[in-house]
Amino acid sequence: MHKQINSGSTPLTILDGIDVQIRSGETVAIIGTSGSGKTTLLSLLAGLDLPSAGEIALDGQRLTGMSEDQRAALRAGRVGFVFQSFQLLGGFTALENVMLPVELAGRGDAEARAREALAQVGLSARLQHYPYQLSGGEQQRVAIARAFAGEPKILFADEPTGNLDTATGARVIELLFGLNRSRRATLVLVTHDAALAARCERVLTLRDGQLHAA
Amino acid sequence: MRHSLRYALHRLRRGWRSGDLLVLALALAVAVAAASAVNLFTERVRAALDHQSGDAIGADLIYSAHDPLPASLAQAVNASGAHGVGVVQFASVVTRGAAMSLASIKAVSDGYPARGSVTLSSEPFGPTRSASGIPARGEAWVDLKLWTALNLKPGAEVQAGNAQFRVSAIIVRAPDSGGYMDLAPGFMINADDLPASKLLTPGARAQYSLMVAATAAQLHTLGALPVPAGVRRTTPQDARPEIRAALQRAGQFIDIAVLAATLLAAVAIALSAHQYGLRMRDEVALLKCLGARERFIGQALLLTLLLLGALAGAAGAALGWLAQEAIARLLAGLMQIALPPASLLPLAQAWGLGLLMLLGFAVPPVLAARRDAPIRVFQRDAGGSGFGRGIGLAAALAAAALLWLQTGEPRLAAEVFAGAMATLATLALLSWLLVLALAPLRKRVGASWRFGLGNLSRRRGATVAQAVALGLALHALLMITVVRQDLLSSWQKHLPADTPNQFLVNIQGDQRDRLEKFFGAHGYPPLELVPMARGRLVALNGKPVSGDSFDDPETQRWINRGFNLSSADTLRDDNTLTGGSWWGNSGDGKPWLSADTYAVEHLHLKLGDRVTIDFAGQPIELTLRSIRKIRWDSFRPNFFLLTPPGTLDAVPRQWIASFYLPPANRTLLRELIAAFPNVTPLDIGAAMAQVRGIIDRIVRAIECVFLFALAAGLTVLLATIQGTRRDRVRETALLRALGASSSMIVRGLLAEYAVLGLLSGTVAALTAQVVTWVLADTVFHIPYGPRPLIWLTGALTGCAIVTLLGWLSLRPVLKTPPTVALQTG
Repeated sequence: MHKQINSGSTPLTILDGIDVQIRSGETVAIIGTSGSGKTTLLSLLAGLDLPSAGEIALDGQRLTGMSEDQRAALRAGRVGFVFQSFQLLGGFTALENVMLPVELAGRGDAEARAREALAQVGLSARLQHYPYQLSGGEQQRVAIARAFAGEPKILFADEPTGNLDTATGARVIELLFGLNRSRRATLVLVTHDAALAARCERVLTLRDGQLHAA
Repeated sequence: MRHSLRYALHRLRRGWRSGDLLVLALALAVAVAAASAVNLFTERVRAALDHQSGDAIGADLIYSAHDPLPASLAQAVNASGAHGVGVVQFASVVTRGAAMSLASIKAVSDGYPARGSVTLSSEPFGPTRSASGIPARGEAWVDLKLWTALNLKPGAEVQAGNAQFRVSAIIVRAPDSGGYMDLAPGFMINADDLPASKLLTPGARAQYSLMVAATAAQLHTLGALPVPAGVRRTTPQDARPEIRAALQRAGQFIDIAVLAATLLAAVAIALSAHQYGLRMRDEVALLKCLGARERFIGQALLLTLLLLGALAGAAGAALGWLAQEAIARLLAGLMQIALPPASLLPLAQAWGLGLLMLLGFAVPPVLAARRDAPIRVFQRDAGGSGFGRGIGLAAALAAAALLWLQTGEPRLAAEVFAGAMATLATLALLSWLLVLALAPLRKRVGASWRFGLGNLSRRRGATVAQAVALGLALHALLMITVVRQDLLSSWQKHLPADTPNQFLVNIQGDQRDRLEKFFGAHGYPPLELVPMARGRLVALNGKPVSGDSFDDPETQRWINRGFNLSSADTLRDDNTLTGGSWWGNSGDGKPWLSADTYAVEHLHLKLGDRVTIDFAGQPIELTLRSIRKIRWDSFRPNFFLLTPPGTLDAVPRQWIASFYLPPANRTLLRELIAAFPNVTPLDIGAAMAQVRGIIDRIVRAIECVFLFALAAGLTVLLATIQGTRRDRVRETALLRALGASSSMIVRGLLAEYAVLGLLSGTVAALTAQVVTWVLADTVFHIPYGPRPLIWLTGALTGCAIVTLLGWLSLRPVLKTPPTVALQTG
């Protein structure tokens, strides 16, 4: 697949002939320098955006030709996200933030699942806290609980430790990989931390818009 | 300074392009536009109405004195470009054969009346016409009282002084007749006949007047001239209490509309500035990291706002000017009055008002951002400046100053301020309770609704703040649309179609039964007969007084004319007790007195004072027991002085009656005069039609003024909704990434706004009811009861407006692509 964006009068190629397959249950790290197109690739794989040319299939379903809503419906209950900047809703408590994807998937047991997920990341005592009352590490743990609460088949993580100090980042990563193992989910991780990438089964390097196996 | 100016200009351009400053600019422009349009339009309408009510006294200005007016006065009037008409009025006897009557003789010069016109007819109750000039030499126009008293016929010759006059017309109405209580029969002649008639002997008591027709500018010039000693200056506002009452009430309505518009615009400015301040915090932290000092940032932010204020203020002033011009043109035909041109002063005032609002409501919250700690660059939640006490204090001070400027009275301003604060507190409390009540509902509704309701009850603080702002706007909208209608129509209903339009005066005691039978036989409802005794003030608290004991010429004239007193045991609803207590049934026969505030002010009375009045040689000492305020625009017989029934039984009295005569039944008056020759009917229909016409025009003008308050209210709604825009973008992107469909996001948003609108509409209906009731009771003195329908109207209107505005302004946000969730920090 290819991805171009129109920057001024000249089109800018971000991804140029990417061909990759990620198997169910696999853990894959995408690394590369800043501006190499890592986050763009992640958003295309997750169906948040469509390629300029080529095709993408998510969980066996072709995304090409799908509307924004059809892609959203595909994600609901199947895909989980962990963002670099946590992306918790400020007006929602930790519990309510974690309930959100379960509610969106239309499942009735949102609260029970959310409580369980928060217990797994060690935040049972912080259920009713708002994001601003939590530390950065705690916020990212809530985000991880949210990602797993819907029991997704595929988990996308965008620089999950990018906003955390080393020690906190390490704890968050332990949690992420631990939960992923127990749920047997597919994990696609964007990072420029080589040590973090090394924990994945496969590492893909993006350079000049093209993928190179490490 | 140069650097901060450059940064400010840059920030202004960027804020404009990104839309960050758009709502603030809009709020400011609306505030200035509303204030300038209202100020300009009100000034023009007031000037026009003042001019219009010149009809009420037959001139825009009257100079009068008991001696011939100094020639310098007429010269000054001519020099100003205005036009003056001389009138001399005095009492003399008019005879026809053996019949004679005391008459009030008015000798008029060419150009009389200066404003309005005299209405004439050729026979009693015959067809009427407007006079085209003044009586010709040797001719006289008489009123119905004199016509009846002398048993005249068309063309009859009468004698006045040494001269013979041919009666050529009956005066139906003259603009300068002294209202319906002017009882002396009228006789109008050409002033050129005066010397030959020898009617006016040296030393005779006469009133010399100069009636002036002038433009607003000429009036202004004349107003600045000193009034010679012994000369009285009367303007339409000093005359005719019923017109004065109508104009005063109109002013109150307009003031309320202006206040509502200003306060709402202030809320919109405060809201959008607060939001802008919050958005500036990251940038400020970054600037500090890069080495910018707080002083530089403060200067830059202040300059940004001042530049924005100057631009938005100018745009607002231009808009206001155009708007008032458009309204004036739109209403020109409808209002049937020519508006004088607008002056530039109100524009400057409105611009100054905008600046005050900017300094009070926008500058403090935006400047608060300059104190943000640079560490915020790393930790967004660190070093918050929040909503400081200083910001609240500045806003409160600015609000107080605004109210003071707009009302011109510290006490009224304080009352309105307290009322506004109480309204805000009530809105907040009720919203909070309703949000609490929402929480259990969430579990019983579908996913979108649950999300919408959840958004509301989860962000309780933000929801309450939003509901208060929306509630305030809706409160104003409700007051402006629904309640305004109620208030204005109750005012118009002051003069229902069957308000008495005829007074009967000079009814003798033994004629009352016969008169009642006469009206009964003609199918009229029972007459309201009011006794009236005439007396002269002779002593106050035992000390002899006369007209000369008072300096004020108006008081002197009133005392010299004599007092009309009546008796009553009930206080009618057009009288409001302002001091002492009403005697009710317990006063029968007691020497007690109740006085209108006019009498209290002019005679310097206080409760308990003893007033001695001489009734044709019988002095009676009366003690002041209560003070009343008469609503003169009720058009019912009212008296400055009242006693309990029975007190004046021993003195000579006559009775007054009022009734409604349908225009088609005018022949009844002929039968009445034939059966009761001494009874004089007075037609007050024309005066009532005049007041009604003024009220109708004012109501239309007020409706236009209220439109600006409406625009200000809508800006508050917009500011409230726009304030959540950034959060919405982020949320929408996240929800999409997590798998929500667009229809679900739209439904959630609509549900949220529908419930928010319903909630704030309900709360607003409650406060609008209470505030209107307080206004009706304390300011307008208009009966006003609860309106159950307003609850439904309020809730549904709130729901519809908030949902629609929310959807319109957030529709682009709903298209946010999910990739934004990966980009925003």
